[in-house]
Amino acid sequence: MYIAGIGIVFNRGRGLVNLEKALIEGWVKPAPAYQVPAETITDKQVLKEARRADNLTKMATIAAFDALMDSGIPEQSKEKLGVILTTAFGPHVTTFGFLDDILTYGDAGVSPTLFSHSVHNAAASYIALNLQSRGPTLTMTQFADSFHQAIILAESWLKEKRCEYILVGSADQIGKVMEYICSRKLKPALDGKIKPFNCAKEPESIPGEGSTFFLVADNEKYNKYGSISAMPSNNKKNDPDLYILDSDGMCGDERLYSRLAKNKGLFTSYAPIFGSMLTLSSFSCAAGALMLKNQKLYACPIKENPHNFNILTKNETLSVHKIKCLRYNCYQEELIIQLEMKNF
Amino acid sequence: MADSKEQELKTIRKKLKELLVSHLSLEDVIPEKIKDDEILFGEGLGLDSLDAVEIVVLLQRNFGIEVKDMSQGRKIFYSIDTLANYIYENQKK
Amino acid sequence: MPATDVAITGLGAISAAGNNIQETLDNFTLGKRNSGPITLFKTGLNYPAFQVKDFTLADPAAMRSLNLTFVAANQAIRDAGFGNGFGNLRLGICLGTTVASQLNDTDFYHQYRTQGNAPMNSVDRFLKSNLAQSLSQYLKIHTNFCTTIVNACSSGTDAIGVGLSWLRNDCCDLVIAGGADELNRVPLDGFGSLSVVSKNLCAPFDRDRCGLNLGEGAGIIILEKETICRNRGRKTSLFLKGYGLAADAYHLTAPRPDGSGLEQALERALKEANIQPNDVAFVNAHGTATRDNDLVEGKTLARVFGPKIKFLSTKGFTGHTLGAAGGLEAVFTCLALRDGWIPASSGFQNLDPEIGVAPVNQKTQISGDFAISTSLAFGGNNSALVIFRS
Repeated sequence: MYIAGIGIVFNRGRGLVNLEKALIEGWVKPAPAYQVPAETITDKQVLKEARRADNLTKMATIAAFDALMDSGIPEQSKEKLGVILTTAFGPHVTTFGFLDDILTYGDAGVSPTLFSHSVHNAAASYIALNLQSRGPTLTMTQFADSFHQAIILAESWLKEKRCEYILVGSADQIGKVMEYICSRKLKPALDGKIKPFNCAKEPESIPGEGSTFFLVADNEKYNKYGSISAMPSNNKKNDPDLYILDSDGMCGDERLYSRLAKNKGLFTSYAPIFGSMLTLSSFSCAAGALMLKNQKLYACPIKENPHNFNILTKNETLSVHKIKCLRYNCYQEELIIQLEMKNF
Repeated sequence: MADSKEQELKTIRKKLKELLVSHLSLEDVIPEKIKDDEILFGEGLGLDSLDAVEIVVLLQRNFGIEVKDMSQGRKIFYSIDTLANYIYENQKK
Repeated sequence: MPATDVAITGLGAISAAGNNIQETLDNFTLGKRNSGPITLFKTGLNYPAFQVKDFTLADPAAMRSLNLTFVAANQAIRDAGFGNGFGNLRLGICLGTTVASQLNDTDFYHQYRTQGNAPMNSVDRFLKSNLAQSLSQYLKIHTNFCTTIVNACSSGTDAIGVGLSWLRNDCCDLVIAGGADELNRVPLDGFGSLSVVSKNLCAPFDRDRCGLNLGEGAGIIILEKETICRNRGRKTSLFLKGYGLAADAYHLTAPRPDGSGLEQALERALKEANIQPNDVAFVNAHGTATRDNDLVEGKTLARVFGPKIKFLSTKGFTGHTLGAAGGLEAVFTCLALRDGWIPASSGFQNLDPEIGVAPVNQKTQISGDFAISTSLAFGGNNSALVIFRS
């Protein structure tokens, strides 16, 4: 399936212009987590039906809206537009807010608004409401596999002709409690640097947040950023020009990544741009798709490279056709999403 | 006597307006600008069914008032005036 | 549309209506409603609920939702004849839930709130309780097609719909699909605050209904490509023929009053199954017994299928089991088609003139080979499955 539009909300702003700017600039010390600035998600036009929405919903609604706008699909297609949102942890800030209510006011004194926004599918519902899309709308969660599974489902839905276009994307957020949990379960990068190529047993991480959406379609006329698939063939001929690794410290032991160092092809990772997130692969795919469209490669933001990967050391204009975004999940299973631009 | 009632109703109305704006996330609405007889649901402020149950919680937390029968809600929640009167009557009991 | 026929070869169910299929059918026949006070956790709320009884947790360290999943999955797997493993078949696992997707342990949070730190065992339990992931670990299955659907109250139905998509796209040969959810303080308090929980036993579609009762359980079916089923010499008469999903795009908690979202989901499911509304023998409705759901759903069913449509809600037996509901009700729909009867729509007494149609009020024979199970969810999700008996 083809990517016709991309929307992104991340710690350095909204939209592909800011994404490209961030990729060119490279690493900037996070302060202290990769948090989306409040002013990034205050678009009153897009959020006019979302006065009660939490930040997770706002990020997702804006990213989905931008992906649709970027795609240029016809306005009358909203019956044929599906929405698939994937999230590793859902609206946990709202959930903990609801638990606050229970603890403070008791079982009978809680806020129904908080409760109804604490369900995982609230964000997707707001997207459908905002876009007035009446097609299939689904939310899924699968920790590190979340975005991979969402892409598989989007491919399946399009092949079945369940919809003509799909907004498929991810959203995850940072919150005080989740940051505390990360600090207990994972090793924080005290110098502010996620080191994707260290392949460490106890890798360092810094929590990130944001939302990325892709407008995908089977019709080649919507091929703006190349194709995307989570079910690529596994043969040797299918080696990519570039690997984007999601080694962001979120899944523990990263020693397995070191075996990739011998592979042909260039390597990069944008975890130090976006922060550590189980749904990082959707952000990596956005960066990858942008590179395919622009035929430009953006340097690794952190260049520590003890295993001698053939990493991208500088921004350069270079022909690139095939990119694999790769992550090993907590069970050391390999998850690959392939991006490809054939016609150059 | 009438004066103190009116004084108290005025206080309740002011508090209500502030509570509605902050707890129902009514962006761009200034509490003082809400009229006492402005219709709250559908028209006017444009509140909906989720706001209605949220107001029930607000009344309980801030005025110690239980709205047991939601079918009465439509009358009680009609405007700031009707809400304030309901609070006044039920607080006194 | 690829012409893959998808058979349903195994069924598993655990809920207050019964800890297995036979117990469930017995209680359906007797009209027995196993509700009572909640004993799983302390609550200041006095609502009846449908709690699963006499149930031993296979893994006490895991969430109750996951343990319910194990019970229903084991039943379904044995029923399908895979008690000794799946051989070389390519498996998928797709399960719906609400509670198991959230880190909503009040004890953990209370301690964090008061002390600024808390032990990680609640977090570990949560991380171990992604239903699809944990079931694949439990069954020692490695699969790329493994996902948990969190579409609120339609999660179970949608998980089965995703399974259908995977099979039609030849992603797998077999999918373990359905849903599971446990009784939990968070949804109890939340639905209570929305004023949609009844202090009495729920009465779906009744004139005097005043809200839902919460329940818990797991309902799981084995979806299998018909060719695989035939090759292993297994006979089955049940098939999943269609799935429809549509968004209301209306409101986070209220259904679209004109029912057009549900209507669209039904139309899509019927079209996929290539049948007409009058081919449908009965509808296993969502029927939560809230004022809004039953009004919109009842009127829509009457409009789409005509005023004589036989329909029921089984939530009078199970309570509203949230993410499990779609899984359980798909199982119940299969059983009804297999055995030729549906139970009385428990709790119903008086026709609601506003709805205009009544569910079946006694055990009813059904004729016809197609049935529909519907789910409506928070956020305006509407889902429908078409199941066929050959």
